[in-house]
Amino acid sequence: MAARAEPASEAVPDAAAGGARAAGAAGVLLSGVGKTFRRAGRRTVALAGVDLEVRPGELLCLLGPSGCGKSTLLRIVAGALDCDQGSVTVGGRAVSGPAPDRGMLFQTPMLFPWLTTRKNVLFGPRAQRSRGLHERDDPELEAEADAILETVGLAQFSDAFPHELSGGMQHRAAFARALVTRPSLLLMDEPFGALDALTRVRMHEFLLAMWERYRITIIFVTHDIEEAVLLGDRVAVMGGRPPGIKQVIDVPLGRPRSALDVDTEGFLAVKRGIRSSLVS
Amino acid sequence: MSGWYSPHAGAAVIEDARPPGPGHGPGSDGPGDLDDRAELFAHRRARRRARTRRVATGAAGIAGLLVLWQAAAMLLGDQVALPSVSQTVAQFFHYLNRPYPAQGKPLWYDLYISLRRILIGFAIGVAGGVTLGSAMSASRVVRHLIDPVIEILRPLPPLAFIPLFIVWLGIGETPKEVLIVVGVVPLMAVMTVAALDEVPDDLRLCARTLGASRGYTLLHVQIRAALPFILTGMRLAMAGAWSSIVAVEMIAATSGLGYVIQQAGDYLDTALVFAGILVIAITALVIDVGLRGLLLLADPSRRG
Repeated sequence: MAARAEPASEAVPDAAAGGARAAGAAGVLLSGVGKTFRRAGRRTVALAGVDLEVRPGELLCLLGPSGCGKSTLLRIVAGALDCDQGSVTVGGRAVSGPAPDRGMLFQTPMLFPWLTTRKNVLFGPRAQRSRGLHERDDPELEAEADAILETVGLAQFSDAFPHELSGGMQHRAAFARALVTRPSLLLMDEPFGALDALTRVRMHEFLLAMWERYRITIIFVTHDIEEAVLLGDRVAVMGGRPPGIKQVIDVPLGRPRSALDVDTEGFLAVKRGIRSSLVS
Repeated sequence: MSGWYSPHAGAAVIEDARPPGPGHGPGSDGPGDLDDRAELFAHRRARRRARTRRVATGAAGIAGLLVLWQAAAMLLGDQVALPSVSQTVAQFFHYLNRPYPAQGKPLWYDLYISLRRILIGFAIGVAGGVTLGSAMSASRVVRHLIDPVIEILRPLPPLAFIPLFIVWLGIGETPKEVLIVVGVVPLMAVMTVAALDEVPDDLRLCARTLGASRGYTLLHVQIRAALPFILTGMRLAMAGAWSSIVAVEMIAATSGLGYVIQQAGDYLDTALVFAGILVIAITALVIDVGLRGLLLLADPSRRG
C-alpha cells in the first residue's frame, strides 16, 4: 500500500499520472463497533458488536433490509457519526470526522446545482487548498479535473449544469468529483437505488470498470441481493436484533464481471445462499 | 428550488450518454457524445427562445393595457376622473425636473427620497433577517425562542406601528426606515430558516468528505445552496417595503412619492397621481428585474 501518512502528502504533484493515477487502497478494520441513538429518552440500538475487516482494494457489499444499520455503519466509517463502542480504523488510522481520504457517494448524486460539472469536480481540490492542504495551482487542478471527466465519459459536458444531465450522468459526475480528491476508500450508500433498471445496469458496468481501473477499496451499501453479488468480492449480510453483521459470504465469481452474468448458474447459486442467510 | 436534490432533479434533458464500459475505450469521442453536446446547446437555445417569447408576450399585455386606458380616457372625456396616458406622461415630464408648487420639490427628488428610505431600511432588514434566520436554523433553542415572536409579528401590518414610531423616533427619516426594517426582518427570517432547512444534511456531509472545512462548507455550500430561496424572499420583502413607504409618506411625511400622490389627490391633479403611481411601478419593476437577475445568476436551473 502506498504511504499516505498525512493528507498533506497529497501536495506532492502527480502530474504525469493525470486522471489515470492509481490510488492507494486502504484497508478498514472495525472491532466491536456499537451505536445507540438516544432521542426523547428512548434508546434505540442501531448497531451492536460489529467486527469486520475490509481488505485493501476489496469491493465489499453491505446487504440488508431497511433499518438494519447499514447506513449507520457507513456513516461511522465516513466519520459523520461517532460510534459509542469499539474502534474504527481506515488505513491503520483511527477515524475522526469526515476527511477526503474517505470519499462518499449517496443515493442522490448531491452535485452542487449552482456549479458546472467541471466546477463540481474542482470543488474538493479547491476547498482543500483553501485550508492549506495542498498548494497545487488552478491549471494543474483543472487538467486533472478534465482528465477525470474524460475517464467517466463526461468531457463533453464539463460546462453543463447538473439539472441538464440525466440521472446516470449525474452519478458519473459525482463519482468523478469523489475520485479527484484521491480517496483510498469509497463509501457508497445505495448509490443507484433511485435509477431506472437500464441506467442501473449501465452504472454497474461503469462502477466495475472504474474499480478495475483505480483499484481502491469500496464499501457498497445495498438492499438488492443481485446487485451485491454482481459487484462484491464479499457480501456482508446485516440484520438481527440488535442489528449487526450476520454473516460474511464470499462471492466466488471471476473478474472482470459483466451485468450480463446475472443469470448464470454460478451467480444464481451465490444469490440463493445469500437469500437464505438474509431470511434465517 | 424544491427538487434541486431529488434523485432526478430537474428535467433530464439529455439521454444518458453511453458510459465508458470495458468494451469501448473510456471517454471515447464517439458520435453519440457529440450529438449529446449539440443537444445540450440546442436545449439551451430553445430555452432562451422561449424566454424571449415570454417577455415579448408580457410586453404586449402591458401595451394592451395602455391602449385600453387611453381609449377609456378618450371616451370618458373627464380629465379629473381619468386622465389619458398622454396627459399622465406630460404631467410626469412637466414635474420631473420642476418643483411641485404645493411642496417646492421636483419629482426626481421625491423619488430619490423614497428610494433612499427603502434601500436603507431594506438593506438593514435583509441583513438582520438573514442573520436571525441563520441563528434560528443553527440553534434549536434560538428557533424555539424567536419563532413565536415572529409568528405574532409577521401578520401585523407594519403601518400599525407608525404612531408608535413617531412618538419614539420623531418625524425624521429614522421612523420611516425603521418601519421598513420591521416589515422586512420577519419575512426574511422565515424565508432564511426555510431555505437553510431545505439544504440536505448529506450535501454538507458530501462537502466535508471532499475535504472542505466546517466554515468553508457553511459559506460555500449551506448558505450558497440557500441563496436562491433568500433572493426570492427579498423580492417579496421589496414589494412589502414599497407599500409601507408609500403609506407612511401619505400619513406622516413632507416628501417622497407617497406624499406627492397624496398632495396631488388633494388638489384633484389626478394626472400627477397617475404619474406618481407610474414612477413607483417603473422603479419597483427595475429593482425586481435586478433581483430576478441575481436569482438567475444564483440558480442556473431557472435560466430560460
